[in-house]
Amino acid sequence: MLLALAVLWEVLVRFKVAEIQFLPAPSEIATAAQDALAGGELLGRIAHTLGVTILGWGIASTIGVALGLLLGLSPLAYRYSMTSFEVTRAIPPITFVPAALLVFGFSLKMELVLVIYGGIWPVLINTIGGVRSIAPELRDVGRMLRLSRLETIRKVVFPAALPAILVGLRLALSLCLVLAIVAEMVGNPAGIGNGLISARQALQPALMFVYVIVAGLLGVALNAGLRASARALLPGNVVKDVAAP
Amino acid sequence: MANDPSYECRGLRADVGSRRGPRRLVLDDVSFEIAKGEFVSIMGRSGVGKTTLLRTLAGLHEASAGSVVRFDGQPVSGPPDGVSLVFQDYTSSLLPWRTVAKNVELPLEGRLPTEERRSRVAEALKMVGLADRSDAQPHELSGGMQQRVQIARALASQPAALLMDEPFGALDALTKADLEDQLLEIFAATGTTVVFVTHDIEEAVYLSDRVLVLDGTPAQIVAEIPVASPRPRTQMLTRESSEFLEARHRVHEVIFGT
Amino acid sequence: MTQRLRFDSLLGLFPLVLLLGAWQLLGDPESPFFPAPSSWWPALFKLGQGDKIIPAILDTVRTFGVGLLGATVLGVALGLSIGVSRTVGRAVGPTFEFARALPPAAIVPVASLLLGFDETMKVVVVVLAALWPILLNTSSGVQELNPVLLDTARSLRLSRRRTLFGVLVPSVMPAIVLGVRVATPIALVITLLVEYLTAVNGLGALVGDAQRTFQPAKVYALIVITGVLSLVVNSLVRSVEEAVRRRRVGERR
Repeated sequence: MLLALAVLWEVLVRFKVAEIQFLPAPSEIATAAQDALAGGELLGRIAHTLGVTILGWGIASTIGVALGLLLGLSPLAYRYSMTSFEVTRAIPPITFVPAALLVFGFSLKMELVLVIYGGIWPVLINTIGGVRSIAPELRDVGRMLRLSRLETIRKVVFPAALPAILVGLRLALSLCLVLAIVAEMVGNPAGIGNGLISARQALQPALMFVYVIVAGLLGVALNAGLRASARALLPGNVVKDVAAP
Repeated sequence: MANDPSYECRGLRADVGSRRGPRRLVLDDVSFEIAKGEFVSIMGRSGVGKTTLLRTLAGLHEASAGSVVRFDGQPVSGPPDGVSLVFQDYTSSLLPWRTVAKNVELPLEGRLPTEERRSRVAEALKMVGLADRSDAQPHELSGGMQQRVQIARALASQPAALLMDEPFGALDALTKADLEDQLLEIFAATGTTVVFVTHDIEEAVYLSDRVLVLDGTPAQIVAEIPVASPRPRTQMLTRESSEFLEARHRVHEVIFGT
Repeated sequence: MTQRLRFDSLLGLFPLVLLLGAWQLLGDPESPFFPAPSSWWPALFKLGQGDKIIPAILDTVRTFGVGLLGATVLGVALGLSIGVSRTVGRAVGPTFEFARALPPAAIVPVASLLLGFDETMKVVVVVLAALWPILLNTSSGVQELNPVLLDTARSLRLSRRRTLFGVLVPSVMPAIVLGVRVATPIALVITLLVEYLTAVNGLGALVGDAQRTFQPAKVYALIVITGVLSLVVNSLVRSVEEAVRRRRVGERR
């Protein structure tokens, strides 16, 4: 199907059946991809975007899980702060781009801050949901077996909430990639996002398509990587939800 | 010393809160004693407060001020040492990410050396007839087997008292009969005190030395019926004996009023 | 009950209020990065720009609304055909899988190059981004449908049209509504993003302008406005979902 579409597209553009200005044929895109790869520029940009995404996601996940466990376990903390989180979460992270630009300037710091900020939310919300939906019996089991508070969190609460947490981690990973690209497009002059904008300014539509496709492939690859590591690290019955598309 | 009770309740009151509305008094002035090594069933209509009573004995539910609840002479506040609880809902009380053996080992972790933990787990699993399934995941087992795992987990800490909340309520009749007999064997072998909540008259009479009947709102103990059938008991002979039939008749009378 | 709930949610605002209060009281009033909250609102109306706010909000709401509607129509149509026909599902599966993974942000520069800087381009991008949750929820809703339902329609010899609009669409309605609810914040975010990146009208363009002309107080004020807008939109969609759910419960009774 994908192949058939590409062939159709090539034919249409080649024979000028459909003439849209700046629409490159797939063969032109392939040539542009080869050039970009040969120059090493493409790989460098991929490495940058991938690095920032994973680093930011890692930090966001740590903060999100820790805060989520606290809010999920302590009714007091939940009561006295949840609305604040709900309200703040409602503000689309994209709107913070200008604020981040003002405060941090055109820098890697700005990109990283944005990625971390956006990535925290799905992890936090899913962790809270996971912890709060644990069957009350399971909490009683922890008390009845006289596990300490720390033991209960480590051995009962965390594993029970893990499927929900993993869903949050997966959502966060896609979001972190998007935010990294946005930040690169408007702020930090590096990575795939910046590549897109430069290609646009140089009026190289074929190269733009290369970057768009690379961005899509990165998304697919990150997702697959997360699923594979979840499957490798966790027992089979926990990963059902993550393995689902 | 042997005459010291395992559990002692005097004037026990307990209320439960619901999300909407005020707290509701479910138990009022409940008093009884349970001797060490005794098997006592608590019966009553559903919603009467059996589970609240059991949770209070387990230290999971706090009794109202002025109530006396003692286990082994000590007032109960929080789950006491030496008491294990078996929940009705085995699916949500086993940890699905742990194997059978790891589930049974949970209460022993950090308390006993590895070698001793292993032998305790093996012993407990052998008692419930699951020695060969120790590496299985809970979801691979039938309901009856999962409930056995929960019982093994309760036994692993070698409890002085075993509290059971309608443990066989969700099982089919044949599995239930099997597990009842197994429980009687365990009871005979370990000499532990058992407090057993059920709404099945036959089951209560078959297993117990004594049946306590809760009734009313708030509930009180309205009858205490001893079961004279000798042990060891067997499904067929015991259920046909005159002692069994007489006790069953009396429990029926108390609950249904005829 | 509701009063108690409302009181509880107010308690939850405590940290946010504390933060803003501390910002107001302890912050440096001359700070170029963190202007005090009290200066946000006046900044909106400085330089005679107050009259730009309302049109910008309307622009954003229109792009968002048209985009979400388009995504819903397209998503339901595609979702139904994929759900009903296994062949269609298998044929387009991998293509969709890839298209779904494309970060919408990356599409913006390409779309603006091909389609130009106008309303159509903005709506196209929003539709492309908001389509997926609706499509996937609809198709899995159809697949999870009890086959007896379709057999019933067939045995009653209902026309294709009646089967589609009388049986199929109503029974997957909850799945569709769920998809729309998930798509709502996405559509809003992408609307703002397109506006910000292309500087074509709307709140996003306004924030971008405030940032490029270095007016931090105005940036923060606009952040607050988008937050309120997003809260309103989300709760609207949630109440629609609630209404659909309640009607279904009513039917069953």
